[in-house]
Amino acid sequence: MNPNDQAPSGSEVSSQETAKVAPETTESGPSYLTVTKTFASWALTLDHKRIGLMYLVGVLGMFFLGGVFALLVRTELFSPMPLITPLFAADPGAQADLYNQWFTTHGAIMVFLVIIPGVPAALGNFVLPLLLGAKDVAFPRLNLSSFYLWICGAAFFIYVLFSGGVDTGWTFYTPYSTDTSTAVIPAVVGVFILGFSSIFTGLNFIVTIHKMRPKGMTWFNMPLFLWGTYSTAVIQVLATPVLGITLLLLILERTLGIGIFDPQNGGDPVLYQHFFWFYSHPAVYIMIIPAMGVISEIISVHSHKRIFGYRYIGYSSVAIAIFSFIVWGHHMFTSGQSTVMNIIFSGITFSVGIPSAIKVFNWIATMYKGSLTLNTTMLYGIAFIFLFTIGGLTGLFLGVLSIDTHLHDTYFVVAHFHYVMMGSALIAFIGGLHHWWPKMTGKMFSEFWGRIACTLVFIGFNLTFIPQFVMGSLGMPRRYYTYQDKFEIYHQLSTVGAYVMAVGFFMTAFYLLQSLASGKKAPSNPWGGNSLEWHTPSPPPLENFHGVPSATDPYELDHFDYDPVTGNYSSRTTAGSA
Amino acid sequence: MMHFFNPLLSHWATQTGPSFWLPAPVSNFADTVDGDFYFVYWVSIFFLVLITALLVIFMMKFKAPEGQKATSQNDHNLILEVAWTGIPVILSFMMFWYGYKGYVAMATAPSNAMTVTAEASRWLWNFTYPTNGAVVPGASEDFNEIRMGVRDGSLTPEAAAERESKVLEKAGLHVPVNTPVKIKVMATDVLHSLFIPAFRVKKDCVPGRIGELWFEATEPGVYDLLCTEYCGQGHSLMHSKVVVHESQESFEKWLEVAASYDETLPFEQLGEIVWKRKGCVSCHSLDGSNKVGPTWQGAFGSLRQYTENGVAGSTTVDEAYIEESIRYPMKKIADGYPGQMPVVKLTDKEILWVTEFIKSLGK
Repeated sequence: MNPNDQAPSGSEVSSQETAKVAPETTESGPSYLTVTKTFASWALTLDHKRIGLMYLVGVLGMFFLGGVFALLVRTELFSPMPLITPLFAADPGAQADLYNQWFTTHGAIMVFLVIIPGVPAALGNFVLPLLLGAKDVAFPRLNLSSFYLWICGAAFFIYVLFSGGVDTGWTFYTPYSTDTSTAVIPAVVGVFILGFSSIFTGLNFIVTIHKMRPKGMTWFNMPLFLWGTYSTAVIQVLATPVLGITLLLLILERTLGIGIFDPQNGGDPVLYQHFFWFYSHPAVYIMIIPAMGVISEIISVHSHKRIFGYRYIGYSSVAIAIFSFIVWGHHMFTSGQSTVMNIIFSGITFSVGIPSAIKVFNWIATMYKGSLTLNTTMLYGIAFIFLFTIGGLTGLFLGVLSIDTHLHDTYFVVAHFHYVMMGSALIAFIGGLHHWWPKMTGKMFSEFWGRIACTLVFIGFNLTFIPQFVMGSLGMPRRYYTYQDKFEIYHQLSTVGAYVMAVGFFMTAFYLLQSLASGKKAPSNPWGGNSLEWHTPSPPPLENFHGVPSATDPYELDHFDYDPVTGNYSSRTTAGSA
Repeated sequence: MMHFFNPLLSHWATQTGPSFWLPAPVSNFADTVDGDFYFVYWVSIFFLVLITALLVIFMMKFKAPEGQKATSQNDHNLILEVAWTGIPVILSFMMFWYGYKGYVAMATAPSNAMTVTAEASRWLWNFTYPTNGAVVPGASEDFNEIRMGVRDGSLTPEAAAERESKVLEKAGLHVPVNTPVKIKVMATDVLHSLFIPAFRVKKDCVPGRIGELWFEATEPGVYDLLCTEYCGQGHSLMHSKVVVHESQESFEKWLEVAASYDETLPFEQLGEIVWKRKGCVSCHSLDGSNKVGPTWQGAFGSLRQYTENGVAGSTTVDEAYIEESIRYPMKKIADGYPGQMPVVKLTDKEILWVTEFIKSLGK
């Protein structure tokens, strides 16, 4: 540990000449939502906020679709006997095929269309320029094109659904994927296109953060969400091309039989796994690092306390991003990869756990002696810390070579990655959605229903996945259409949990939509945040700020006065002008 | 120092039945794996309880109405940062070390180990024993039938157990107790993975590669053997059993019987045994329903449309066509089927019996 790595204290930063509070803006003029109203003004918009909002609608739509498939899978597994597949197919073989398509579709939609673009493309697009006090991202046209690429990729997935589905699992492992008669190529083309959407977003964010920081904002004065999106963007740009190339090779293998992955033509299926995980392991961090950034904002702002260990959180994002490139082999401990490789990958894998642990402890320390507002957003933040802790700790089991030999490809793995990808990445996305909802829409949602829904999601989630840990370590393999009777009770608990969670999410959809229609008007700063997006009206005007803002200290949160009438936090120094 | 915890932690693993978390430990690796499991488990429980307690206490203690100021804005503490970096570093190194030690033992089979081959195809297992070249099927179809029978009440648990031991006379992976056994795993079509939960062993079956795992079973009995790498329609049905014999003699006696056919039986019946034992059963039905391959009901003498090297053709299903289809399954692909039949090595006699069996199923 370098003793110079200490985070800047509040007094240091606020004493800097330029790091003063930004001017409070007046709420005159139209917002970005109302400035133009035609369809074309949305479809062809270059405004990052509108693009972010369109992404949000798309991602949430896909989340609904992926969720429907999750419920189909869980419902079928309520019994080891065919339960709902016979409603769709008469032949027992076709019933099993259908189940295989359901879990594949669920996984592929959730990974490629929901979680990867969720925080960076939907929330990031909206918030990132605002956090920088900028008018837009560096390349607005590239930004719009990345959205249309996403639409295009999503269209391929919809096409796959109507052309007989795909049954390879979201991993497209060869030689099954070169052999099956289902629609592998359209699905793979869809993922390929989505990859470019992801690269464009990443590239845009890297340039924007490098070149468009406001006067006075140093790297160590940025909100931590920017550290998160920056680390993510680097992975997106470096790793995604490998997935693209891999998928192209898969298409060539399927169409031309080039013999790179298919053993019948002299290829090596394990090579495919190496290529695939070289992207897909970093992709896990594409999902989780920006989510961690969201949590850093939520915990600090709603505790009304300076973030604890700023530099450690920032550096740990970068550390995770770097380590994420050299641990892919831990997905292949039982694949026949050499013993030495397994040992090396196991060792490096543990190094990813350390920065994650550092973050968790720093978030908890942030809450210590804070002034905690236990609103919906904060509840999601705290739920994240709990769920991510379980996700991280169960990852330790899988990193230990001897234990992984037993647990690999069982429900233990399924539960583990759902704790990370859903319990963490997605919960942070939902938390961030609530955190920035007033800013995006100009409306406040119902706290009452928000807290109930959050509680339901939290209980439902744990009820769904804790039984999966148990049955997994008892020997229940994943991707099974039918199973031994001894696992029935765990599957039934899990299915009940999934429905509880679904109720929570439907409730969320209803009160958020209701807030659009009749929600209370949101003040410019409803939570008492000090990063720049809280220094402009909710919703912001087209060009984000009236005037040119200069950098604030995003974590200086104790100079606000709360007005219970408007629900606004205004900074004491400029209270008169609000 | 590194070995200090393991004997203590193995304490939780030294029970014979299944625990809440793990199946009954019945191989030489089970104690190590379970000891490692419980080491990570208790470390995890400790941190989970610690973190949850802190979250709950802070939520209660520092909950405040909107607008109230935090009582501290302290944002760093070097000692804390060093502590919560250093302690996880030490603990995770210990975990890595245990896992490494356990894994190296699993990866290195002793030179005197008995070798058995496990070959996975969609969706069946075949085990080959080196001493007499006996090929014994996994008999997944039978085990699934038994499971379903118990489920729908048509089989009592006793009847199921009886039927299972009957099936196991000529099926399953059989090994003697307390003897090192090396399993060479391979696949004929797509990826599969051989998993024996009670032994804590697993290895992917990769087409074009020969993998290896080994174990020493410590308790006579019958245990599950499962496929854990997704392989399509019948993945969850690729279920077989491991039988651990109480002695080398009983194992050898079994092997002798398993390799033989009761040739006093009529050819059709022998053909039915071949149909089951060699796994034809998983793709060819007898009741007219279509699975991955054409049904055998009424197949003999019927007209079959096929594609050979991209050229369409047709033939009457006769003895010659059946023999050719068994020996060269990918030569003439019946129209309407995916053409996924593996090469199943049958003896001339077995082909004869199967042909008679198909004949007996009517025109």
